[in-house]
Amino acid sequence: MAGLINNWLEQAEQQNSAEPAWLQNKRQQAFSQLESLQDPNRKLEFWRYADVGRLTQVIDAGTESRPESALPSGNEEHDLVVRITDSGFELSAQCPDWLVIKNINELDEELWADLSFDQETVVNLANVVLFDTGVCIEISKTAKPVSILIDYQFAESNKWQYLRNQIQLAEGVHAKITERLHSGRLNVVNLFQVANQTELLRMQDFILSSTEQLVSFNQFDLNSEASVTNMSQHLGGALQHHLHRVNFNGQQAKYTSGSINKSYNNNNIVDLIEVNHHHKNNQSEVTHRSIAKDKSQIFNNAKAMVAPGADQSEIEQDLKNILLSEDAKIFSKPELEVYADEVVAAHGSTIGALDEQSLFYLQSRGIAIEQAREIMIESFEQEAIVC
Amino acid sequence: MLKINDVYAKAGDKEILKGLSLEVKPGEVHAIMGPNGAGKSTLGNLLAGMPHVEATQGSVDFLGKDLLDLEPEERAAEGVFLAFQYPVEIPGVNNMYFLRTALNAQRKYRGEEPMDSAQFLRMVKQKIKDMNMRDDLLKRPVNVGFSGGEKKRNEVFQMGVLEPKLAILDETDSGLDIDALKIVSDGVNQLRSPDRSFIIITHYQRLLDHIEPDFVHVLADGKIVKSGTKKLALELEEQGYGWLNQ
Repeated sequence: MAGLINNWLEQAEQQNSAEPAWLQNKRQQAFSQLESLQDPNRKLEFWRYADVGRLTQVIDAGTESRPESALPSGNEEHDLVVRITDSGFELSAQCPDWLVIKNINELDEELWADLSFDQETVVNLANVVLFDTGVCIEISKTAKPVSILIDYQFAESNKWQYLRNQIQLAEGVHAKITERLHSGRLNVVNLFQVANQTELLRMQDFILSSTEQLVSFNQFDLNSEASVTNMSQHLGGALQHHLHRVNFNGQQAKYTSGSINKSYNNNNIVDLIEVNHHHKNNQSEVTHRSIAKDKSQIFNNAKAMVAPGADQSEIEQDLKNILLSEDAKIFSKPELEVYADEVVAAHGSTIGALDEQSLFYLQSRGIAIEQAREIMIESFEQEAIVC
Repeated sequence: MLKINDVYAKAGDKEILKGLSLEVKPGEVHAIMGPNGAGKSTLGNLLAGMPHVEATQGSVDFLGKDLLDLEPEERAAEGVFLAFQYPVEIPGVNNMYFLRTALNAQRKYRGEEPMDSAQFLRMVKQKIKDMNMRDDLLKRPVNVGFSGGEKKRNEVFQMGVLEPKLAILDETDSGLDIDALKIVSDGVNQLRSPDRSFIIITHYQRLLDHIEPDFVHVLADGKIVKSGTKKLALELEEQGYGWLNQ
């Protein structure tokens, strides 16, 4: 059998199943759904500008190193590091009483959350069938402000790893959760369940060499008065495909997203965000800054859906893109789908080169053109740094 | 210091300067006045090396070097400074970082040691105090959220820090209220010295009440049609430029 779905199904059939019946049942449902779908292809919105072929390619790593981080806080201290490896996970310190971290396979049935996948998200659906590692993090109401780093360190760089993380934040919690790739080829699903009046700062920091691949699906369920700030940095990679789905399940919550995508050589980055204003009085602000160089390609899309009755929703989508070479490509699409009457919404997208007037301004002060370009790029990235 | 000899130049496809000649000696202040579209800003941009402003004929000698042969950053390091008519905003880059980068880039070009953070901080604090400007300017991103007056003040402050040999002020007085005009003019006057020259491009005589020029030139249709002393500026204020067409 050929094709991605067949490969996934074959892989699933070979899995050793000592799991509880309810989880086997969930996987079987996903398996059946997968059987009814087609391989990801360019006819799909989410894969239109992605090189699907790279999901099956293994590219020789050579000696290439990873690009440098655009974020200033690359090496900050964390209260706890969760290192996920081929053999499970390990913690840098003991968990306090208010923090429980366990293997995702040990999740209780009542804590499991079904995620909605379809043809567009078929690669993420494969994760439900195949995930065999990941963590469940529960932070309870009595928690102190906490910073946790989830660090992926897999020895086999050519093997796809399927991970699922489920993070539950109780009412009133203040947490920072950073996700970072040290090594490996990942297909990861993250679910953040954010209770009332909870503040989450989430950072996704994926810096890949031109031979590495990563697919992520990230769902944020926000209850009333919750606040989520999501800062993503996606640099490099043969393929990076990220989908962020935000569900407002209460009122007066806020989701702020900043995303920096930088591609060079032959990189292919897809950064998608889908915000669902199911209820009234919620606010979402999305700021993407993408920079493509050489023959690389970026697709960034921000979509907001405002359901009937979700009045007083406030939406802002600000996508700006810079092309640094003639052969680089960027596809950028802000989208609003509004079914409510009273909504404040603004969206915009620009694609262009570095502003010549600004470059000249820097040069006229004595700064050489290459350094002037670097300063301009840094300046451009800063606009998306939301934390 | 500066010798512009019979320069023709175009901005984009349009020929703007048509045989302009001007000599500026060390310590002199030259005011360039003229009607809209005469080529005043093109002259400033040509000297600073703006892309798409290109000399098609003539020469510009600056301290023995062919200025037109140098990149904009090389011209700056050689001592040319253009105070922009419309300074650009650079979000996320604070003035302090920007100025230190610029200063050290110029020092590197001249073969001088870079200035470390502490030295630089002491120097800019003193400069900003001497120029009667607010030091919050240093922490703010370059020109972002600045009023028109603040942008022009920032240009003059940058000039003070970079200490050029030839400063070209392109309509630095436009958009300034009386107080801001005084602050900017005082800043320029503080920088006047026997080895530093100025070309002041302006529409109005009022700036020249504060900065006394040695020469005033009238630029029309791409070349200097009349030169004189400060008195010429006063005449222009009274008569306008209508006489140019007679």
